[in-house]
Amino acid sequence: MNAIPMSVTVNGEAHALTVPPHETLIECLRDRLGLLGVKKSCDVQVCGACTVLVDDRPVSACTVLAFEARGKHVRTIEGLAHGDDLHPVQEAFVEHGALQCGFCTPGMIMATVALLAENPSPTADEVKHYMRGNICRCTGYKRIVEAILAASERLATGPRTTDGG
Amino acid sequence: MRVEREIGIRAPRETVWDFLWDVPRLAACIPGAKEVRTVEDGKRYAAVVGERVGPFRVEFPLEIEVLEVEPPARLRARAGGRDRSVDGLVKVDLDVALTVVEDGTALRILAEIAVLGKLGTLGHSVIVRKGIEIIDRFAGAVRSHLEAKGS
Amino acid sequence: MLRPFELCEPASVAEASELLLRHGEAARIYAGGTELILAMKEGLIHYDYLVNVKTVPGLAGVRLDADGSLRIGAATPHRVLERDPSVSERFPAIARMEADVANVRVREVGTLGGNLCFAEPHADPGALLQVFDATVRLERKGGARTIPLERLFVGPFETCLEGDELLTEIVVPPLAPRSAAVYLKFGFLERPSVGVGVAVTLADGHVADARIAVGSVGPVPRRMRDAEARLQDRPVADSEAALAEAGRIAARASDAITDLHGSAEYKEHLVGVLLRRAFQAALAAVAGSERR
Repeated sequence: MNAIPMSVTVNGEAHALTVPPHETLIECLRDRLGLLGVKKSCDVQVCGACTVLVDDRPVSACTVLAFEARGKHVRTIEGLAHGDDLHPVQEAFVEHGALQCGFCTPGMIMATVALLAENPSPTADEVKHYMRGNICRCTGYKRIVEAILAASERLATGPRTTDGG
Repeated sequence: MRVEREIGIRAPRETVWDFLWDVPRLAACIPGAKEVRTVEDGKRYAAVVGERVGPFRVEFPLEIEVLEVEPPARLRARAGGRDRSVDGLVKVDLDVALTVVEDGTALRILAEIAVLGKLGTLGHSVIVRKGIEIIDRFAGAVRSHLEAKGS
Repeated sequence: MLRPFELCEPASVAEASELLLRHGEAARIYAGGTELILAMKEGLIHYDYLVNVKTVPGLAGVRLDADGSLRIGAATPHRVLERDPSVSERFPAIARMEADVANVRVREVGTLGGNLCFAEPHADPGALLQVFDATVRLERKGGARTIPLERLFVGPFETCLEGDELLTEIVVPPLAPRSAAVYLKFGFLERPSVGVGVAVTLADGHVADARIAVGSVGPVPRRMRDAEARLQDRPVADSEAALAEAGRIAARASDAITDLHGSAEYKEHLVGVLLRRAFQAALAAVAGSERR
């Protein structure tokens, strides 16, 4: 096969594409679908800036082939917010100052979303172990870990209600 | 990365020295060497050295420059080249010394090998090991050639 | 941009084997691709055909056999082994080692079989699994063979797989009663620089069996049988002295060279340190499980 027809849902939207086997997921997401929030950084699956979720699993878009997403649900940073309403993880990153240049941030946030879906109340050690593959050159990680722990509490509490209950 | 090897060859020092300048016969001792030619006799040579590690193949067109000669005891040379397909540059500084010993000649090879570029980072350990292997095989091949000769 | 290649999606092991035979060196088995696609992206290697084994049913998954052996499909991702209860309960050292392979994204996609077959020297599973006397099943169209894992590794990035063979299963026998295994590693680059796996069995205050494997140092991960002999049949109380000696033997036998991962002397030193710590941790684990 050298042209693979595939259906893939990206951020809730269905797409019918035909991709060559050698196309990487990051090329598909950025170049075909215009999702520039998926960042190409090290290009050797080490830094995590290109982290996207495929069926809720975090993968390196730079090294996963595009056709592997066929029939699956892909989620990128663009799919988290609802209009102006940020996802709780995004809110926590903003509130805790867990970003400076922002380049690693989409990958950090997607990895966090995957972590908290799997382990809603991680310990700090569990957060550090899971996030070990996401590298940040700016922040020194402290605020990122705090943001993740805060996000886990926020998600556990559920949506805010007006009566404070 | 520095590799040093010394072997004994049962042949007179002059014979070993002459062998080092016999380009076709010397080239036959270098694992993976092909297309060896003299550019400027005694000064410049060219070779293509191809090597394989598992499924990986690299091929370096090398330019070899002789820097210093003290016949029949010592020669220093430098070789360099860029791989044909992968981002990698190889630089080798060679110091070859011949000493007269009891039953022949001691051939000492000192090689300072640098592999730069992606190849150097990605495959550093493997390249170091391969470098050692190549020098070992080269030294052994030189000895076999010289000891096999009748005269 | 990767160079173009064709994707083959066999429905059986026999079909996969046929494809390998037909295309020879132009084809390679493709599972998670975490090693293969990386090397292809770097331009270090190219294959005109990638044979996707994820489409062959039955190659992924882990289960416990009646005799307590762990049977792991070659196309099982590291993350499955990290989290599967059978692995964490019965083979905790393996679950722990798998949890520390690379990063979570590599573990989600990369497979144990792919890791073993790529035979990158700086890797973890090949070392630890040898102290369990793990075996691997190699299949081709019309035949199969099972060999000890330690025979799989021939050199850096080189296995003993024939051109038309694929690895289909890894079998890990349980350790004897009163045993524990530990894997420790050290690294400051992306891949480990030194990895030491140890398995210890105790009987009557003696070390009835000691197994040691060193990985990431030499060109292949391997068992250190001369070092093991120093620890075998010794009273546990005498282990300290024996460990120092075993450490020196294992260090010398580990074939360390000076490179970006450190000097040969440093790596040899680390082999000794990790061996001592792993052995002591294994002893403590045996004692701990007996107190329950």
